[in-house]
Amino acid sequence: MSALRRLPAAPLSLAAGAMVWEVIGRAAGVSFFPPLSTVLDRLGEMAADGALLASVRDSLLNLLLGTAISLVAGIVIGVAMGRSRRVEAALGVYVYALLTAPSLVFAPVFFSLFGAGRGAVVAVIVMYAVFVVIVNTAAAVQAVPAHLEEMARSYGAGERQLLPRVVLPAATPMIMAGVRLGVGRAVTGMLNGEMFIAVVGLGHIVTEAGGSFDSASVLAVLLIVIAVALVAIALVQAADRRLTRWVPQTAKGAQGK
Amino acid sequence: MIEIHGLSKTFTDRRGDTVTALDDARLDVAENEFLTLLGPSGCGKTTLLKCIAGLVPYDSGTIEIDGRPIQGPGPDRAMVFQNFALLPWASVVDNVAFGLRLRGVARAEREERARELVATMGLAGFEKKLPGELSGGMQQRVGIARALAVQPQVLLMDEPFGAVDEQTRRLLQEELLALWEEQRPTVVFVTHSMEEAVLLGDRVALMSARPGRVAELVPVDLPRPRARGGGPDRSGVYAELTAYLWDRLREMHEEHRTVRTGAPA
Amino acid sequence: MTRLNARLPYQILTFALFAAAWELYARARGGLLLPGFFETLRATGALLAEPELWRALYVSNQALVLGFAIALALGIPLGILLGRFRTLERYADVWLNILLVTPMAAIIPLLVMWTGIGLTSRTALVTVFSIVMVIVNSRAGVRQVDPSLIEMARSFGAREREIFTRVLLPGALPAVMTGVRLGLGRAVTGMVIVELLMISDGVGGLILEYRGLLKAPPLYATIVIILAEALLLISAARWCERRLTHWSRTTATRANLAGSPK
Repeated sequence: MSALRRLPAAPLSLAAGAMVWEVIGRAAGVSFFPPLSTVLDRLGEMAADGALLASVRDSLLNLLLGTAISLVAGIVIGVAMGRSRRVEAALGVYVYALLTAPSLVFAPVFFSLFGAGRGAVVAVIVMYAVFVVIVNTAAAVQAVPAHLEEMARSYGAGERQLLPRVVLPAATPMIMAGVRLGVGRAVTGMLNGEMFIAVVGLGHIVTEAGGSFDSASVLAVLLIVIAVALVAIALVQAADRRLTRWVPQTAKGAQGK
Repeated sequence: MIEIHGLSKTFTDRRGDTVTALDDARLDVAENEFLTLLGPSGCGKTTLLKCIAGLVPYDSGTIEIDGRPIQGPGPDRAMVFQNFALLPWASVVDNVAFGLRLRGVARAEREERARELVATMGLAGFEKKLPGELSGGMQQRVGIARALAVQPQVLLMDEPFGAVDEQTRRLLQEELLALWEEQRPTVVFVTHSMEEAVLLGDRVALMSARPGRVAELVPVDLPRPRARGGGPDRSGVYAELTAYLWDRLREMHEEHRTVRTGAPA
Repeated sequence: MTRLNARLPYQILTFALFAAAWELYARARGGLLLPGFFETLRATGALLAEPELWRALYVSNQALVLGFAIALALGIPLGILLGRFRTLERYADVWLNILLVTPMAAIIPLLVMWTGIGLTSRTALVTVFSIVMVIVNSRAGVRQVDPSLIEMARSFGAREREIFTRVLLPGALPAVMTGVRLGLGRAVTGMVIVELLMISDGVGGLILEYRGLLKAPPLYATIVIILAEALLLISAARWCERRLTHWSRTTATRANLAGSPK
């Protein structure tokens, strides 16, 4: 892997970007683009006053619920679509349509179904995350080589053993790629949902700060949200590495998509 | 004619380890000769071929064609690739005409020449097909036609029949022999098959892996034409030569194993 | 064709079940904010006759067309450069990965502070939403080009410019078109989001207006129409993609056939 060779490039590039931000922010002196140091100061102030922590907790709970629902529903539906032509025929078009549709337009619907609260935000997160998990899981299950299944059947494996012992393990690398994408989208869904419904969480802060043209707060929250997304994705990747140790190193780069 | 003297090439992989592919390699190829390059895998035969093609820069030594040192790829050489290397978006004719197009040959002329070669290679009727719609054997016929289209003095072939099935390979070998016997270009042909080396070559250059150089030049004393049923007598010289080459290759493999494990095999 | 026909009954069944569940739920729990399926259908028909809708669509799509055109004009060349020049890519990679997970909606307030609540802000947001997808896919397209094709071209004497025009660009086209399609999806998302969250104009503004007036049926009808536009645009992009990159399926099919006996 080229990960080793890459190691110095990423921090270097990040540091350079941070510096450019700081310099341009100071030189421009405009309200909508404060320098990084101002944003970090604001982040410190917000952290000190405690309200931020409560919002982060709220948001993380939303994210956790939404992600959990998306993963369970996504993998179950995806496996069903991958294994059964009828389920695929019944759901395929709709799943693909909703995968690319602008998910936030459903927010008003969830608003009227679940009221202005956690339920609606979680529903928006699921709307953002679930379809990419379904699509990847279905594709993964369909891509399991037929000869593996034939081999297992020739040793007398029944349908009930086939799924947990052959199909799911073989499909795991691609399913995890979908989970990674799903978690990233869940974070976006969390912030967008909270911005629209605007009663709880980090999105609420962004909407309020944006309304009073407090750009430092907006960017401070954005930094937190990016950090949440990167940590969540790192967790998925750690899980992926544990689950797919058998995949040869050379093939790993190829599953990136 | 091609003259190679003291050619050395060392690769550095990503970890920083160095691999010596060629070490003081020496080889002469005569005008109009069909030379096959045979050796164990990893002996640097493809590297040597790519050095002649001008695709791989070498560390030291010289490669001269008719007394002129080579500097990068040139119009006097054309290469046929193991994995065909056809442009998947271009039709058969456009693939064959690719080299001509790069040389600025006008459209009408290059298409005419490409069509002629497509017909020569037995692909008439497939001019507008895409490579993905052809079998492996047909794809390599396109690859050979593309190389012939630029009328090279030297044809460089890198295990061209390594990716097709046994029966297709036989057919392609016979077609190549017939073409060569008619046009007599100088050919350097890399292979890992003893049978193929003997069947096609005027001489077999046997390469050793460590050091990567030509260990022995074996003349192939078989009558021509060898194509189309006029093939070699399988019980006589042909069988002796392939058996001899295998003995030499097996020695190399065993030496290699001894070196690696530190114990006699 | 036969496969399509075999799928159709299942697709209709799914839709019928969904519509029935919606209708029954709306009747049982129905309130001011939840119209039934048929009521929504009727409202959609009525809304399509309203000039107000077409004005809103015009306003929204102005930003979409401009913003997406800018995203393509900048994103495709940038992605191709990143794919060809590894050093550049090594430094850009970390930023692209961050941008891919950044919820761009959060920068809407900053955009508004910068350029006001006009067309410029909405256009910029559409660009910001879609450009990363375009860059990432164009880059992947260049990287996917078989290196042996580059070697082959060099062996026939191709120079860097010819490698670009004759090998890299055509080879990257399928992935670039995928980027265009996915980017278009995100562009539509950006177009609607900016109107829903900050700049109450266009179709997003229409949703907010109907919500404020508690007019549920036209609210739902607007959502239906936005979804329909998104799907139409994406289908059109997919159609172009297929027309332009016919060859990539000839090779892909062969690879699939060779790979799995399914």
